[in-house]
Amino acid sequence: MIPDEEPNQPVVDSPELQPSALPPVPQTFEQQVQAAADAQEARQQAPPEQLQQGGPATVAGAAVAQLQRVQATAAQAFRPLTNTVWSKLDRKATAVAEFTLRQYRTKNSTWVVLGIGVVFVAIVLMFYGEAMATGFESVDNDGDSEDWDGDGYPTGQERKYDTNPWDGDSHPDPNIIPPDSPEKWIDEDDIDWDGDYKNWNQGHDDDGDCTGDGWIDPDSFELPRNQDRNGDNVDCNVHYHMNSTTNTVYRINSDPNVDEDPDDEAFLKESLHRAFVLGFGKIGFGFLIGIFVPLFLATGLVRDEMENGTLHYIMGKPIARAEILAYRLLGYIAMVWPYSTVLILLTGIVTGFLAPSESVFRFHDMSAWLGVLLASWLVMLAYGTIFCTLGVMSPKFGLWLAIGLGVWEFSMAMMSLAAPNFPLTWLSISHWGIEIINCTSVLAYPDQSYMINMASQISWGSEIALAGFYSPPSVVSGSPFISLLISIFVLLTITIGALFVGQSSLKRKELN
Amino acid sequence: MIPDLSQMGEGETQEWAPVDEAPHIMLDHVTKTYGSVNGLNDVSLAIKGGVTGILGQNGAGKSTLFKLIVGRLQPSSGNVHLFGTNPFKNPAPYSRIGYVSESEHLYDWMTGLDFVATLARLYGYTRDEAKERAMHVIDFVGLADVANKEIGKYSKGMRQRVKIAHALVNEPDLIILDEPLAGCDPLARTTIMNVVRELGAMGKTVLVSSHILSEIERITEQIIILHNGRLLALGNLHAIRELLDKHPHRILLRTDEPRKLGTAFLPHNDVYGVRFPQDHELVVETNNLSSVHQALPGICTESGVRVTGIENPDDNLESLLGYLIEGRA
Repeated sequence: MIPDEEPNQPVVDSPELQPSALPPVPQTFEQQVQAAADAQEARQQAPPEQLQQGGPATVAGAAVAQLQRVQATAAQAFRPLTNTVWSKLDRKATAVAEFTLRQYRTKNSTWVVLGIGVVFVAIVLMFYGEAMATGFESVDNDGDSEDWDGDGYPTGQERKYDTNPWDGDSHPDPNIIPPDSPEKWIDEDDIDWDGDYKNWNQGHDDDGDCTGDGWIDPDSFELPRNQDRNGDNVDCNVHYHMNSTTNTVYRINSDPNVDEDPDDEAFLKESLHRAFVLGFGKIGFGFLIGIFVPLFLATGLVRDEMENGTLHYIMGKPIARAEILAYRLLGYIAMVWPYSTVLILLTGIVTGFLAPSESVFRFHDMSAWLGVLLASWLVMLAYGTIFCTLGVMSPKFGLWLAIGLGVWEFSMAMMSLAAPNFPLTWLSISHWGIEIINCTSVLAYPDQSYMINMASQISWGSEIALAGFYSPPSVVSGSPFISLLISIFVLLTITIGALFVGQSSLKRKELN
Repeated sequence: MIPDLSQMGEGETQEWAPVDEAPHIMLDHVTKTYGSVNGLNDVSLAIKGGVTGILGQNGAGKSTLFKLIVGRLQPSSGNVHLFGTNPFKNPAPYSRIGYVSESEHLYDWMTGLDFVATLARLYGYTRDEAKERAMHVIDFVGLADVANKEIGKYSKGMRQRVKIAHALVNEPDLIILDEPLAGCDPLARTTIMNVVRELGAMGKTVLVSSHILSEIERITEQIIILHNGRLLALGNLHAIRELLDKHPHRILLRTDEPRKLGTAFLPHNDVYGVRFPQDHELVVETNNLSSVHQALPGICTESGVRVTGIENPDDNLESLLGYLIEGRA
């Protein structure tokens, strides 16, 4: 009826497509096992009388069969790992994860988002580097480096030698005691704290302007009348008030002129550096990168495939829908975890070289950065799972829901910094990320509270910066380790919960 | 290269074992509605073996039917069984099917080989196994030359064929092809038709949909006709054809001398009229299409008139549907 124009030859007719053209299959392990099993079967199916017949040939045949049976049993016992259910799951997981990674690679948005993160970190590091390179002018807290009377001797030196700092003619004999340079009297009394939280009695009057040590007249009216102003029955010391459960310094009271003039520059730089580690760790990595990267990279993980009509290529395979979601997230994790690791370690290395330190590199901070890394990993995992789930639940509004969540998380992050004990913040992921950094920073910097209290006595700026970014672990007060474990547990629970919701939502989704 | 389709039938997971006696596909009073729109209306059918053509106009419910079978959709009422299990709930039977969707979307950034091999790994094959199998099926659909080219650079026919290749990589028992010929050039069309026929010859169950009658006719005789979501007809195309042949039919001939040729046709018993709608065109009207078609070459040769084209304006799905619906009423 209808002319059949095309050559009506089945494809198989062309010689090159004959099955014989198949490449010879190599003798695999499985095939060898099969061959052995076949031999055994043949032996069992053989008539029994044949086996009972004597003769050397039959005996040899039975021995071979026996050997083959042993081999087959052994092969069964040591079944190659490539055939187990688990390894098949692995294959599917790596296939989907690998595919996800390759898909990311082809998308411009991936490179833009990751690139912005790198630029952001680079800019912040530039500011940090500049702050560290800028010399702070050391402050003469007690004014004893000034030469008020113009006789060439700074006030501190004149007081020490009992001459009148206000009278140009009253000064030590320049032939015996030459005048000091004023710098010597700027940072003349450093902070002496041995770091021992159990010892409240600290401080040492290095320049003797409380005890009168080294002074010409130990009873000089220049020396303070009351050498125990902090009332701890120890003259000329510094009293550290400790919280014995949390091992933190909550107040520092010094006797007059003790530790009054430390090296402000070193102190400020240390304080600023720690403020940077905490602030950038919490806001930069824990929050901004932690939320923006998942927002743009995880929301569309499954949603985009649904929208593009390509999800059925993956879903039409013998693989549970729940698995697909999990493996897609695995691919996401395989990209963002190394990314944040590289960024954070790079930041750690750069700051390690620039930060105030006695050696070339400041290894001391690495544990703090590892805490930041842990927080960033868990936060990216939790946000990624939630955003991906939102995308699955509502392909149309998922991104907007995710942005709404981002606003909530931002306000909670800010609140966590300002009021860490406010319970509402517990309903956010950012709080728990920040909490992880708080906990690990206590482990990395046990003297943090001391730094903050000292800074409050020396300078305003660094006190605000450090105190603003630091708060002691608030979940279980005084136990940073348990607080850390709880924070990790909460973030993982949120992740698993979100994954479960996403999976059950995907299971019910119809793919049009 | 033809994949060795004889080594199959094992489910990928040990828990699920296919029921061999069960039809591969069984729909039990299945209705699928989208809001108030009926996608499929009370369809019951069972399919096992052979190549079955699903005919229907756009929107007749062909794709909905396929999506229900492969578990992309859930029926609003009724039950769908794929190898004896609910395909929406259980992905295990997917290891025995190959599904080519109507979707034009592919991962354009992948090469054809990559695409097939990557998806093959989801059956649990190792990387090497998957690649080897992918190479086989890509060869089978005639894309070996462009296997390492990006899909984005493929022609429409190549894209269809790579989709078919991906559906064959697991050596399935059941292959579902949703409009595989849509938008293909004649060469790709021929290749795809050969592939489908070949799969049928291998004993696979193949479902192939189209809205063009002649396409299906060249692939298979076993057809299912869907219309407005309802199962309109089911059975051998010849039987339906024969009914159709008894209906008034037109044959359009293009020639330089329509009148001379028309005169030559008139003595034929089954021809009841000739018309000349335009210059160089002759329409022969008949009640028995096959008889006239048989006589046609002889009449043309005898008359000595040069015929440049033959068309059957009524030989399309619309006429068939029209007749079936009319016949029903």
